[in-house]
Amino acid sequence: MPTVTFVQSTGESIEVAVAEGTSLMRAAVTNGIDGIVGECGGQAMCATCHVFVRPEYAGALPPVSDDEDEMLDCTTSERTEASRLGCQVKVSAELPSIVVDVPADQV
Amino acid sequence: MSNQPNTATGCPFTGELPSDPAELAALMSTVPATHATDAPPAPGIEAPVADWVTIEDLVRDPFPIYRRMREEAPVHWVPAVNRYMVTSYAACHEIEQDEATYSADERNSLMKRSMGHSMLRKDNPKHQVDRDAYGATLRPGTIKKHWNAIFEANNERYLGELLAKGPGSDFVWDYAAPYTGENLRMVMGFKNATQQDLQRWSQTLIDGTGNYADDPEVWATAAASSDEVDTAVDEMLSHYVGNPDHSLLSGLASMPIPLEAIRANIKMTIGGGLNEPRDVLATTVWALLNNPEQLAAVKAEPRLHSVAFEESVRWVAPIGMYPRETTRDTVLGGVALPKGARLGVVLGAANRDPDVFEDPEAFNIFRPKKAHLGFGGGVHFCAGTWIARAQVAQVAMPSVFEKLPHLRLDPSSETTDAGWVFRGMTRMPVLWG
Ligand code: FES
Repeated sequence: MPTVTFVQSTGESIEVAVAEGTSLMRAAVTNGIDGIVGECGGQAMCATCHVFVRPEYAGALPPVSDDEDEMLDCTTSERTEASRLGCQVKVSAELPSIVVDVPADQV
Repeated sequence: MSNQPNTATGCPFTGELPSDPAELAALMSTVPATHATDAPPAPGIEAPVADWVTIEDLVRDPFPIYRRMREEAPVHWVPAVNRYMVTSYAACHEIEQDEATYSADERNSLMKRSMGHSMLRKDNPKHQVDRDAYGATLRPGTIKKHWNAIFEANNERYLGELLAKGPGSDFVWDYAAPYTGENLRMVMGFKNATQQDLQRWSQTLIDGTGNYADDPEVWATAAASSDEVDTAVDEMLSHYVGNPDHSLLSGLASMPIPLEAIRANIKMTIGGGLNEPRDVLATTVWALLNNPEQLAAVKAEPRLHSVAFEESVRWVAPIGMYPRETTRDTVLGGVALPKGARLGVVLGAANRDPDVFEDPEAFNIFRPKKAHLGFGGGVHFCAGTWIARAQVAQVAMPSVFEKLPHLRLDPSSETTDAGWVFRGMTRMPVLWG
């Protein structure tokens, strides 16, 4: 099973195993990870699933779509180069593990 | 105007907010919302019966009722509204995250009867087809490029009309309603209607959706509006085939969506697109006028307009309740629910749950920020969220307080708020001299 590691701004890190094709947002919400809200259920409409992807994993990700791009401008914690919407990034055979930082502020 | 300019980058609404995080952090801290996700053991207790709840009391002031219900159990059977009412944050949140158990496609839906079968009463994958057809019209990028300038022009006009009408005029009906009505008319692309038509359609269709008392006159009026909207929609769809613009109807004119679905979705949008921003605008201004120290803070720091807006949506959710229906026997918040149970997800109660929000009955823009449920959640998360934020918090509020620095409620006249399925100010005379 692919794994997702969420690192909180406090330094606390939680690894969860999820089925292939699961989004980072869904992985976080179903496992009760604090700081990922996922208000819109994955429609790229709420920007409450903001994560920072560690650089070593960024290359394996699909590019940011236009919808994701404009929503990333609306995040509560300021957007960086590493910012993605957790609902738009899925784990897969090509991306069997990933480590992301959870922003300090999400709403 | 103190509004932020429409720059090429940044969110049309909140992008400016965290530009100095240290400064904002000094004003407020962020604490994640807590919610219980562990399902309690089956079979659960039988739902307590809240036979003391009446529709009249709910319309007048639902909040003491919600408080009493929440203290007793997260879910009640309420004979007066013929459904279970869910009042705790945790239980409402659980419903939003589980569309397989809690279907939006309820039987004998008042909304379906009033507006037709819109995306709001469909489950995925059907819901998503309709929702995707709305395309980019309501998204931040389009708001920034096309709608903000239009909202600013409309605001100039209708705030001007309020001023011309003179002190004692009504903030809701002489400003907030025509302003949001005209914005909606343009976003939707109703070139063949007036903002007054939009207001009338919205109110009568919404009255049908909230017609829990089953008043036949309410149904007749809603049906007449429904026919008018169908005619207007059909006319505009033909118009936009050769004359596309950025409006919703223009986008829909080129989509392979059945006409029945378009008509229903448009009616749902007329309902949700007018009353909600109108009510949030009036409620937020009313709350600030009643809390002078918070008003002073907002005037001193324009970025707090958006914070006040969100707190207002939490405090008085303009859509106070929406329905769901169980697809199987289940247990929610320790209460057993049979398959086919009709539920009311009471956001107006969840947003005042003391398990999540400290001193929840108070309007307080300085409270620790947490996710409220005012825009709903999950796949039905309000598609108009960013439009509402832009027209109310970014355009209207800063302008109101700048142009009317001495704005206050008229002490010689009564102010009223009402409603529970939908709630807002119904009368709000103001002075500013
Ligand atoms: S869950 Fe809403 S943008 Fe990702």
